[in-house]
Amino acid sequence: MTTVDRRELLKRSSLIALAPTVPHFLARLAQAVEARRDDRVLVVIQLDGGNDGINTVVPYRDEGYAKHRNKLRLAVDRLHKLDDALALHPSLRPLADLYEKGRLAIVQGIGYPNPNRSHEVSMAIWHTARFDPAEQKQYGWLGRALDQLPAAPGGPGAMLAGDGALPAALIGRHSAAGSFSRIEELAVQNDAARAAIANDAPPDDLAAFVRRSTLDAYASADAVTAAAARPPRGATYPANPLAQHLRTIARLIESELPTRVFYAVQRGYDTHSAQMDTHARLLDELGRALKAFVDDLQAAGLAERVLVMTFSEFGRRVAENASAGTDHGTAAPMFLAGPGVKPGLLGTTPSLLDLDDGDLKLTLDFRRVYAAVLRDWLNVVPDSVLAGSHEPLAVLRAEQG
Amino acid sequence: MVDGVPAPWRPRLRMHWQPYTPDDKTPWNVRRVIHLHRRAGFAATWDEIERDLKDGPQTTIDRLLAGKAYSTAVPEDFEATSRLLADAAVGSGNIQRLKAWWLFRMMYSPDPLGERLALLWHNHFATSYRKVQDVAMMRRQNDLFRQFGRAPFAELLGPVVKDPAMLLWLDADSNRRAHPNENLARELMELFTLGVGNYGETDVQEAARALTGWTVKNREFRELPAYHDNGEKTVLGRRGNWRGDDLIALLIDQPATALRLAKRLCELLMGEATVEQPALDELAECLRSTQLHIGSAVETVLRSSAFFDDKNLGRRVLGPAEYLIGAVRALEALDPPPTTMVLAEWMALLGQDLFEPPNVFGWAGGRTWINSRSLVARGNFARRLADGGLQNPAATIGWVALAQRHGCGENADAFAGLLAKLLWGAETSDEARQIKQRVLGDDTALTPENSRRLVAALLGSPAAQLG
Repeated sequence: MTTVDRRELLKRSSLIALAPTVPHFLARLAQAVEARRDDRVLVVIQLDGGNDGINTVVPYRDEGYAKHRNKLRLAVDRLHKLDDALALHPSLRPLADLYEKGRLAIVQGIGYPNPNRSHEVSMAIWHTARFDPAEQKQYGWLGRALDQLPAAPGGPGAMLAGDGALPAALIGRHSAAGSFSRIEELAVQNDAARAAIANDAPPDDLAAFVRRSTLDAYASADAVTAAAARPPRGATYPANPLAQHLRTIARLIESELPTRVFYAVQRGYDTHSAQMDTHARLLDELGRALKAFVDDLQAAGLAERVLVMTFSEFGRRVAENASAGTDHGTAAPMFLAGPGVKPGLLGTTPSLLDLDDGDLKLTLDFRRVYAAVLRDWLNVVPDSVLAGSHEPLAVLRAEQG
Repeated sequence: MVDGVPAPWRPRLRMHWQPYTPDDKTPWNVRRVIHLHRRAGFAATWDEIERDLKDGPQTTIDRLLAGKAYSTAVPEDFEATSRLLADAAVGSGNIQRLKAWWLFRMMYSPDPLGERLALLWHNHFATSYRKVQDVAMMRRQNDLFRQFGRAPFAELLGPVVKDPAMLLWLDADSNRRAHPNENLARELMELFTLGVGNYGETDVQEAARALTGWTVKNREFRELPAYHDNGEKTVLGRRGNWRGDDLIALLIDQPATALRLAKRLCELLMGEATVEQPALDELAECLRSTQLHIGSAVETVLRSSAFFDDKNLGRRVLGPAEYLIGAVRALEALDPPPTTMVLAEWMALLGQDLFEPPNVFGWAGGRTWINSRSLVARGNFARRLADGGLQNPAATIGWVALAQRHGCGENADAFAGLLAKLLWGAETSDEARQIKQRVLGDDTALTPENSRRLVAALLGSPAAQLG
């Protein structure tokens, strides 16, 4: 039975049709089953620090490449050619394989008007798809998207795999987001504290927030712990942190968690000096982690349900600096991977000779990619999430929508 | 008054930071003593609370400002021991040991305010070992946060931005005329002084030119004239042949810098949404009239009626260090002492891996401390502390003895009330009794097992996450 058939069947099933008259929990259960088995999952990988797009998807035929890159010029014979103008970094062999198999879309020249070169501000723009600083303090684009979907019982709608605070992208008004670094951390060992939690919210706003968060924390901890208890299928992942996070994410997807969005961060892309080796290592980790993840999902029969998307807060300046590094720049490519993508190169390659004060000119607004992911993958109306109309980029297969 | 702190600025400016004098509505009581220690330190032990209740707010705040707030469990040779531990951490090249050293300081220093300010500056100048990869440099930077943490801000900012740890962190260790590196210039403006929105992109580029010539040689800061761009630069509308030091002086002088520092201090000391813009402006004005004297501004806040107002009590999410060290001290789980290496691991689980902030912005703090992972970790930490699992080897903590010392006899309800008082200064034991009822039911016997369960439940409860 295909996913569409099953969803259709469930929609028609008497339980759903009679939802107003059947006990509330039964209806919720049926909806939950539908959500878990059929709903698609988005995995976002944040390349933190500003990835050098030029040395990721390399315009090796552009005369500007040799002009602006000396110490940071990659040898053409080691690149993985995509066509007669563009090639992937030597470390990105696994992505080149995905590209050949028709599982990878590369969207070029992505940015937004009046680019901001502050990590914090630009990241906030990408996370919230908002330009007003006051609005950036509120909700993220994925949090807003999850707000529009029915609340998923049994676990948070979004999960960060990794350390640190939740990314602003996941913060919603209603939807809950959780986080973990290792699955074991989520096991509740303090039964006394759990027993002591009252369900009533105190009048005080901050105390209510902490109490509600505590209840959410215990609920999501239990869901994840149950998922982790399933025997592993023996997929082999590299030891790097990103790969380990993706490994855990694969197990959580395999479980029947209702989580729709997973989020992982790969740090270290802020390569102001001695970029060559660092960047090669980062892309190698990224490529091998992604390959292991995709293979694992394939083996588990889950690949159809998963879309992976990478982004970075900005690209880097076209000219290298004196420290064999690059400073904060503007436009950069995004990768989207999975069976649901329309494979190939999308968008227009920015020229390295036609620059805007030393920076690439953007050729595509990132909100068009978001709009596509929202409409064609998460089944959410993009306009309210993005505060305006952005034509969804044709990057996902139409029949998915 | 602390040595070197200038006279508080003119009273006529003090609309929003009127001095606190106890009255019927805001009495100097256990709750406010605990509040003061939670905000300006980690937590006081019961002996210290009783001492401060007797001595009154002036003397108590004097002691905090003078770095003499803690007396319980403070070793006589504290500084000498601390140096030994730091030297050993540096010698081992193991950053985990430096984390343990800092937690030792937080737990045992007589000057908890100094450690809280050091943590504030660690966050403000967020530098990570992940990139610096040098334990000695991380320690040296950390000592600067302590040495100049209460000083006029210029005395802190200059040494910190010229310190090798920062220059390596921001790739500013080889900033040359031909290709200025904008990283330090940008972060200097956005994070260390003005804040975003108070400068333009050309200011960053021009500031980077002013910083050319700064470098690190033999692990020390050097300024190399040959690499310096001697041309004129225009930064924030001011034109001149600026060098790095001129740039720092220029940034220190901007009103936006004072306002940003005022915000930082209010984040440290005041509760969520308790400080309105006019009060921030006034604190910034106070800073500007004292050459950005941090200690003086801290004193202004701590002595204010706004600080002791009901609205400010229990209105702040405790950060990981405040929660962990606060729990150990408030519950006097100091004998035998907890293992600082273990505490350092818990800090990371709670989301604040010392010396390894997530990025140049440090930890966002406030409500972002609260998420699924950190809350489960806080609960599990509470259980571990209750069971004596922070000690190595695991110890049995004398909770029943603690109850008896405080006149709770062997009654579980009374002990729950005591814990609520010690942990969040609870004035009634209603909430504590409800928690006890949910955990132990009608059983009122304070057996060792029941006492452990109560400690785990109350310390893991939502109320104990606020201070």
